[in-house]
Amino acid sequence: MSTVFDFRGAPGTGWSQPEPINTPSGTIPERLRRRHLPNWPRASEPELVRHYTGLSQKTFGIDTGFYPLGSCTMKHNPRVNERIALMPGIDRIHPLQEDSQVQGLLSIFYEMQEMLAICSGMDAVTLQPVAGAQGEFTAIRCIQEYHRSNGESNRDKVIVPDSAHGTNPASASMCGYQVVEIPSASDGRLDIEALKAAVGPDTAAMMITNPSTLGLFETSIVEASRIVHEAGGQMYYDGANFNAIIGKTDPGRMGFDAVHYNLHKTFSQPHGGGGPGSGPIGVKGHLSQFLPTPMASRRESDEGDPTGVVGDGYWYFWEDVGEMSIGKVQQWNGNAGAVVRAWAFYRRYGCELERMSEYAVLNSNYLRNRIMNPDPDVAAKIHCMPVEGAQADLVMHEFTLSMSPVKEVNGVSGKDIAKRLLDYGYMSPTLYFPQIVPECLMIEPTETESKEVLDKFAADFHAILSEDPEIVTSAPHTTPVKRVDEVWAARKLILRHPITDSED
Amino acid sequence: MVDQIPNLGRESEMLGALGLSSMDELFANIPEGVRREGPLPLPQPQSEEQILEDARRLLGANVHLDSRPSFISAGLARNFVPTMVPMLATRGEFLTSYTPYQPEVSQGMLQAMWEFQTMVSELVGLPISNVSMYDASTSAAEAITCAVRVKSKKASQPSSVYISELVPPHRLSVIENYTQGVGIDLHTLPHNEDGTLDLEAAASAAGSCAVYVEQPNALGLLDEGLMDLREAIGELTALIVGVDAVSLGVIEPPGSWGADIVVGEGQPFGIGPTAGGPIYGLFACSKEFLRLMPGRIVGQSIDSEGQTAYTLTLSTREQHIRRHRATSNICSNETLIALMGAMHMALLGPEGLEKLATRVHSSTIAALGAVTSIPGVELVNPEGFFFREFAVRIPGPAKEALESMDSAGVLGGLNLGNWWAEMSDCLLIGCDEGTTEADISALTDALGNWIGGASR
Repeated sequence: MSTVFDFRGAPGTGWSQPEPINTPSGTIPERLRRRHLPNWPRASEPELVRHYTGLSQKTFGIDTGFYPLGSCTMKHNPRVNERIALMPGIDRIHPLQEDSQVQGLLSIFYEMQEMLAICSGMDAVTLQPVAGAQGEFTAIRCIQEYHRSNGESNRDKVIVPDSAHGTNPASASMCGYQVVEIPSASDGRLDIEALKAAVGPDTAAMMITNPSTLGLFETSIVEASRIVHEAGGQMYYDGANFNAIIGKTDPGRMGFDAVHYNLHKTFSQPHGGGGPGSGPIGVKGHLSQFLPTPMASRRESDEGDPTGVVGDGYWYFWEDVGEMSIGKVQQWNGNAGAVVRAWAFYRRYGCELERMSEYAVLNSNYLRNRIMNPDPDVAAKIHCMPVEGAQADLVMHEFTLSMSPVKEVNGVSGKDIAKRLLDYGYMSPTLYFPQIVPECLMIEPTETESKEVLDKFAADFHAILSEDPEIVTSAPHTTPVKRVDEVWAARKLILRHPITDSED
Repeated sequence: MVDQIPNLGRESEMLGALGLSSMDELFANIPEGVRREGPLPLPQPQSEEQILEDARRLLGANVHLDSRPSFISAGLARNFVPTMVPMLATRGEFLTSYTPYQPEVSQGMLQAMWEFQTMVSELVGLPISNVSMYDASTSAAEAITCAVRVKSKKASQPSSVYISELVPPHRLSVIENYTQGVGIDLHTLPHNEDGTLDLEAAASAAGSCAVYVEQPNALGLLDEGLMDLREAIGELTALIVGVDAVSLGVIEPPGSWGADIVVGEGQPFGIGPTAGGPIYGLFACSKEFLRLMPGRIVGQSIDSEGQTAYTLTLSTREQHIRRHRATSNICSNETLIALMGAMHMALLGPEGLEKLATRVHSSTIAALGAVTSIPGVELVNPEGFFFREFAVRIPGPAKEALESMDSAGVLGGLNLGNWWAEMSDCLLIGCDEGTTEADISALTDALGNWIGGASR
C-alpha cells in the first residue's frame, strides 16, 4: 500500500512560497540550529490532491451512507455551516483581539449562551470547553470548587450508573474524585434503592445521562435529584443524549445543577474522524461564579461605544468571571469555529428545535419496531432474532439490541453482525456499549434519515440474520481491507512509518 | 419552516406503524411534572439564505487579521494555509466520519493519521505521536499528568513538577486545573535576568516527576541553555518541552537534546487562528510513556488476508474501556484539524518547512530591528535570540499604545500587562510568514507616532 512517504520529488521543488523578507545571520545560536530536516515527503500539489482524495474514498462518513452509531448522534451536517466557518470574520480572528474588533463574534457567542440556557433550563452557560469530556471535567471542577467554598471538601465521591459513558468516571477521576458505580435496575433504568445506598455525607455529585444509554427516559429522575440533593450532592447531566428531549423537557426541570452539551452531536458540528467537538456547559446560579473565564456579555450601547457594529443596540464584551472562577480549561475561548457552525444550525430551527427531537425519537422507535417485527415470510428465514437491550414499549432517540441469542444459536456475535453491515453499505452501530447489555448493538438513526433508509436498513438487517452464518462471521467481504487484526497491531506497535531508505 | 428532516409530513404513516396517533405519545415516558409546554422562546426558523446573510453581517463586523498589519501571536499564528488543505479536508467522507472504530471502512482516515504521527515524530525527534489533543495547553497539562504516572514511583520528589515561570498564564491556568485534583504540586522554575532559564535553580528539580519548559518561551526567547537541562535534572525526571512547531524548521528538535515529551500548538500547520479553536495540540513522547499516554494512536496492522491495514491501537488506555482508571478522559479530539495539519506538512516538505521557519524568523528579526530603533523602545531581553515574537518596553502604558495604534489601523501586539501586571509597559510583538516590510513600517510609524505624542 502506498503512503505519502512514497513521494520523492527533488528537494525544494514542491509547493512554493515567497522569499524571506531579509536574510538575517547570527540570529540563532549555532548550537540550536537544526542539523537534519525532518523526513517529510517531497510532494507536489497534484500528487497530494490525488493521495488525499484516495484516502477520503476509503473513509466512511455520514455523506457516504447511514451511520446509526448510537450515542454519537451522526446527523447530517449542513454545508452552509462550513461555508460560514471559512469566512475571515471567524477563520482569521485572534482570540486576544480587543472587544471592539470582534463584536459580531461576541454577539454569536452571547446568543449561543442564551439559547443553550433556554433549552436546558440553566442560568449561565460557558462555551469554553472544547469537547463533551472536557465539559464534564469543567462542570465537575465547578462543583468541586462549590463544595470547597462551602467548607465541604470532604466530599470526595462521585456516583455514576454503570450504563454511563466512560468519560464520566474518567472526568471525575481526573478531578481527584473516587468513583462509585451503581448497577442499573433489572429494567435497565436507574436503581433508586442502589442510589439511596450509595449517597452520603461524602457525595460530591452524581453524573447521569437522561435518556440513558439504553435509550430509556429515567422516569424517577426527580426522585434521584432529591436524594442526591438531600445528601448535599450536586446533580450533573451528561448532555450526550440531549437530541432526544429538546423542547419536551430540560435538565433544569429534572433537578440538575450542571449540564454539558455536545455541539458536535445535537448541533451538527461535523465529527471529522473523531473531532473537533465542542462541549459547553450550563449551570444553575449557585455554580455560575465558578465557571471558566471569560464569558461573552453585553450591555446597552452608550455614546462611548462605536455604534452600529452589530446593529441591535448592544455592546458586547468578554467579561471576567471573577475570583472564584476555576480559570481556563482551554487557553482561548473554546472552539469558536464549532460554536459558529452550531449557531448556523440552531438558527435553522429556532423556536422549532423540538421538531429535531420529535423526528429523532420517531425514527428510533420506527426502526426498532421494523427490526423487531419482521413480516412473517421474512421471519421464517431468520435463524434467530436478537432481543431488546431493555424492555420498554417506547424508547427515546436510540435503542439497544442484544445479539446473545444469535450467538448462542449459530455463533454469530454482535461484532460479526456489525462487520457484515459494512458490506451492505452501512456504518456499524455502536458495538458492545453499554456494557450491561451482552453482545450489544446500540442504534441511533437521528432525525435526518428518511423512512426509506430505515426500511431498507431493517430489511438488510433481517437478510443478515437469515444468511449462512459462515458469511457473517467472516465479514466484511467488500471493504477496502478485510477484517483487521487488532491484536497484531497492539503486539507489533508499528506507530509510524520507518522511512528506512530516505536519502537524508 | 425547518428543512433538514426528510420525514417531515410523513409522521402519521410512521406513527401508525407503531400504533400511535400523535408525536406527543412518543414522549409519554417523560413524567408530567418535568414536561415542557409551549414553544421555546427563540426566533423563527431561518432558511439557508437568511442564515448566510446574518453570518455575513455579524462576522463581517469583526476586524480580521489580514485586513490590517497585525502583530499579535501569543501562541497562535496568523499563518497562510494552502488552499488545497481546507478543500480536501472538508471532503464529505473526512468531514462527516466519526472516530474510526470500524477500521475496515476507515482505512483512509487511519492511514492519514498514521502518516500524521510519522510527520510529527520526525518534526520533534521522538518516536511516538498521538493523533492530537485539544490544543497546546491541554497537551502540556496531560503531558504533566502522564509524566507523573510514569515517574512517581522512582522519584525522590514523587508529587512534584517544576514549571518555567515564563509560560503564558492562560496556559498555566489550564495546567493547574488538570493537576490540582490528583495530588501534583507545581513549583516554579525561575529565569535569569537575561530571560534564560536559571539552570542552577533547575537542578533542584532533579528527582521530581517532570520539568516543563517552553522553547521559545512566552517572550519569544530562544534559550540554548535548555539543551543542558537534561543533564541538570538527571534521568529520573521527565523533560517536557513546549515548542513553536514551525520553529523546528530551523531549531534543533527537543527530542535530540533529551526531551521525553514534546507538546505544542499544531495550528500553524493546517488552520487559521479561528478565534482560538478548533485547533489541535501536538503530543509526542518516547517509548517509556507509551502505555500511560493520553489520546488515540493508530498502528499498522494486517487484515485477515495478510494485507497491510491500519487500526486504532492501545485502546485499553482509554476511557471507553478503562473508565475511571483511564489515562485521560479525552474522547473527541481534533482529528480533522490534525488531518489539515498533515496535508499542510506534506505540502511543505522538509525544505518548505525550513523556508517557512526562515520566513517567520526573518520577519521577526526585521521587525525587532525596526521597532528597537525607535527612540525610547528597548528589548526586554537585549541579549536574546528570538523566534516569532519579542517583548519590548515602551515609554508608557502598553494599553494606550495599542489603542493609539489601533486607531491608526495597526494591530500592534499584546499588552503584556494582561499577563503580568509588572509588564504593563511592555508589548509582545508577533510576526509570521506573511509579515511584510510595509507592515513593519506601519507598525513603527504607529508606535513612533504614539511615543512622539506620548512624550508630549
